[in-house]
Amino acid sequence: MLLAVHDSVIPSVFDGTANTVAVLVLLIEFGMLRASLFRSQIRLYAVQSATVSVLAFVVAAGRNLPDLYVLAAVSFLLKAIVVPAVMLRLLRGAKTEIAGSGALGVASEVVISIVVAAFGFFAIGALGIHSSVLPTTALSLSVAVVLVAFVLMIVRRDVVSQAIGFFSLENGVSMASLVVAAGLPLIVEVAFLFDLLVAVVVFGVLIRVQSNRGKTLSTTGLDRLRG
Amino acid sequence: MILAPPVIQVLQVLTILFGAPGISGVIAKIEARLQGRRGPRILQPYYDIAKLFGKESLAPVNARIFFLAAPVLSFACYLTVPLLIPVLTTFPLPLATMGDILGGGLILAFASFVVAVAAAETGDPYAQLGASRAKTFGAIAEPVVLLVVFTVALLTSTDLPYALAATVTSGPGQIVLPAHLLASAALFLVILFETGRIPVETHTGTIELGMIEEARSFEHSGTHLALLKWGSATKQLVFYTIFLNVFVAPWGLAATPNLWLVTFAMVALLAKATVLGVVVSVIDNTFAKLRLFKITEFVSAAFLLAALAIFTLYLGRG
Amino acid sequence: MTPVVLVVALLPLAAALLCLFMPRGFNEAAAVVSGVVTFAGAIILLPAVLGRTVTIAPFIRIDALSEVFLLATAFLYAIISIYTIGYFARERRDSRHSGVAAPQFNRYSRKFYVGMNIFAWSMLCAPLVNGLAFLWIAIEITTVVSALLVAIDRTAGATEAAWKYVLIASSGLGIALLATIILYYSGAQVLGTSYDLEFDSLLAAARHLPSVPVELAFGLAVVGFGTKVGLFPMHTWLPDAHSEAPTPISALLSGALLATSFYAILRFYQITVTAVGPTFPQTVLLVFGVLSLLLAALYLFGQQNIKRMLAYSSVEHMGILAIGISFGVPIAFVGVLLHVLAHAAAKGTAFMGAGVFIHKFGTKELGQIRGGLNALPWSAPLFLLAIAALGAMPPFGIFRSEFLIVAGGLSNGRNVFGAVFLVLVILAFFGLSISTTRILFLPAVGTPIARGEPSVWMVVPALVGVSALLLLGIHPPELLMALLNHGAVELQGGH
Repeated sequence: MLLAVHDSVIPSVFDGTANTVAVLVLLIEFGMLRASLFRSQIRLYAVQSATVSVLAFVVAAGRNLPDLYVLAAVSFLLKAIVVPAVMLRLLRGAKTEIAGSGALGVASEVVISIVVAAFGFFAIGALGIHSSVLPTTALSLSVAVVLVAFVLMIVRRDVVSQAIGFFSLENGVSMASLVVAAGLPLIVEVAFLFDLLVAVVVFGVLIRVQSNRGKTLSTTGLDRLRG
Repeated sequence: MILAPPVIQVLQVLTILFGAPGISGVIAKIEARLQGRRGPRILQPYYDIAKLFGKESLAPVNARIFFLAAPVLSFACYLTVPLLIPVLTTFPLPLATMGDILGGGLILAFASFVVAVAAAETGDPYAQLGASRAKTFGAIAEPVVLLVVFTVALLTSTDLPYALAATVTSGPGQIVLPAHLLASAALFLVILFETGRIPVETHTGTIELGMIEEARSFEHSGTHLALLKWGSATKQLVFYTIFLNVFVAPWGLAATPNLWLVTFAMVALLAKATVLGVVVSVIDNTFAKLRLFKITEFVSAAFLLAALAIFTLYLGRG
Repeated sequence: MTPVVLVVALLPLAAALLCLFMPRGFNEAAAVVSGVVTFAGAIILLPAVLGRTVTIAPFIRIDALSEVFLLATAFLYAIISIYTIGYFARERRDSRHSGVAAPQFNRYSRKFYVGMNIFAWSMLCAPLVNGLAFLWIAIEITTVVSALLVAIDRTAGATEAAWKYVLIASSGLGIALLATIILYYSGAQVLGTSYDLEFDSLLAAARHLPSVPVELAFGLAVVGFGTKVGLFPMHTWLPDAHSEAPTPISALLSGALLATSFYAILRFYQITVTAVGPTFPQTVLLVFGVLSLLLAALYLFGQQNIKRMLAYSSVEHMGILAIGISFGVPIAFVGVLLHVLAHAAAKGTAFMGAGVFIHKFGTKELGQIRGGLNALPWSAPLFLLAIAALGAMPPFGIFRSEFLIVAGGLSNGRNVFGAVFLVLVILAFFGLSISTTRILFLPAVGTPIARGEPSVWMVVPALVGVSALLLLGIHPPELLMALLNHGAVELQGGH
């Protein structure tokens, strides 16, 4: 079968490198849980996006998929440069710089996230999805990124962290797509990316509206609608 | 010239024993240089220890025999561990298999426990403070060490330090393995914690707000203090050796019991430890000390790394 | 057929552009023309897709299933664009009273019209596009556009609702993207890596797809797109967004957007049921459907806000759709597709009625609206009829569709769930009707409100909606039933 042939060809250095880059993406996600300044959070997001682009580049080089070079370049440009720049610009007028702590202490957040990430890890591992492009671990890692991003969005109480949580969730999904859908036609991938850009603009507009209205970036006031 | 394995084993212990204060001296020197000071001589720790050996030992009135035995016990522990780890050779020496990596960890933990109990024995508030803090954070650091050990065990299917070093040198595929890198990083954080470096603790000076390691030897003096100081330098080098020769850079070890190779291995170890020392002092100079209650975050970061190492390993040797 | 399809696919976008650049008075006309023509186009397309698939270029593909959702959205778009004329006439008067400058209001209304047309366009595109990737993109566009429309009033409530909506729905769509990618992966095992998720090749290959990834993809798709459908427990954004958005947008959200997202789930269902058999996808949908129905039925009691009440009714009806699919027989599928159409008409009419109430009484609080039947001679009875329709009273379309769904459940041996379904639907109806009876029939307290309709433009579309409901209930056109039957066959996985 197709996969078996590939498995024997794969040099394990490629696997290791790819996995290490994927692990870095997850670690940066954990770093976002800890980051307390808006700026550092946005910077972490930029670094994470750059890391995902590096992974795309690694896959392109290791698997000889020229499309992915373009994707790596476009996603680097959009997610590591444009989006963070837009976010930083939005924050220029904001009064506060510190995101404030989340609903829990950092240590407990990390422990919860480890549990959640472990769940994602083993759930995906148990499914037995194998890809010819990247090792399964990378897929598990990307699902873990998605789940930790959810934790970030849930425990943080400010619009910037929540937005960054969503963007990094998207990073996790892009990483998953590198694993299982590396051959996805370029036009579709680029369409996904531009869609993200539109979402970023909308998030930006809403962050603006929120900070102009409430003079704050905290979401603790957003609890009037109930029932 | 071929050395008998027992001789090499003795050399291992001696290298650690007499190299340790030197490494501490080098680190202190580099640190001072990075801060723009001239700093103490590299040999200063040796002089300090020699001076302390010449002084009279005092003990608090209520201290019992344990207070006096603790420095000796802990020192003995620190000298036992080099028997178990590859300090100079790539092949196991006599007695090397009497304990695995877990055994080594237990002995190190026992040494730190003994010192903590002796500190509690004195009734001195500072010493007790240091002891209780050390044990509080140690309770989180221990699982990290355990997870690192598990990672090693999963990687090599044994729990012998020699086996891991051999696995690492076997090929580049093993080095880029995320589990290996993560476990190494976790161990590095644990070493920063165990040797009392920034960002956990300011190891120079005695500021009681952040004191952990330094506070524990407050009531000891003379020979006992010398043993404790020497012991803590030894512990530092033991940790460095585990980190270097088992995890990160198991190169330069003697593959045969040849005298020249063994001598080269000694020099190589001290050189590698110096490089690591430089890294540690750079970290020392670039980061601020964490507030005491933030240390849990630091240790939980190490825990995260170790846990991820297990995860990635569990899934198809990734 | 190509020109008609292109008109349907592009006219709303053109209308949005016109609204952006042409003088303000043009906005209403552009929207109404676009809405009505689009609906006409959707009707013209109907005979063309009976039993065959219209494909244009590689991007557009219409079969009976997409035609149903196209009809629902286009119908709602048409009547809402008429309603909006009246809505804005009132808003203009109100804003003048509260001292808002005319240019400022003009900017607001221009933004609103541009947004509404793009919103309708994206919802019309979702059933038109060929392939799961483009479907996801279309639905993501509906999210971002509608989030801006929810926030357009810039009140504290609107900002909060929009933030929750965009955050929760986008995260859900992130999960849906993961589902899409995993389905691509399973498709690539059979089709090679150079296909782009178009339906025809996926459906043709569905029988050979590996089962575990397909099941995973389906589960993720139900959670992901289900967030936008408003299935429990991902529904939390829904009542907020529906209650805080301007009324025409609430109607579009509830009647068209939720169904459009459900369409995406149906596409995944179509592939999954062929690949792994009916048990797994039906169980998943049954669980989500019953939970949504239960939650909505309970929340409908004691609601304080008229639009939140209708929003929970939407959760209820989306639960009904999910349960209907889970019954897994053609008759239930016909019921589900009919339900999509009938719910669009009923919920659109109900929201339009609610908008009139809010204008007339100046509040969304159910406790402060009294004596509606006296104050609003036309809108109040129409609202009552819409609520009766939502509660599945005969002779309206929803009665027929729910009847078909239950009949399907019973014929497939799902007696217990058929009974549960009935009990919960009746419970929900009680919840709805108690509040409705209070606001319509209880006498007004304090100064009585003058009798009279705010605007004829707000009554006509409600009349159209109720007529459509009656048509669907009493005698659905033959062609329409043929369409629904074809859609049901497609859903069965038979192709």
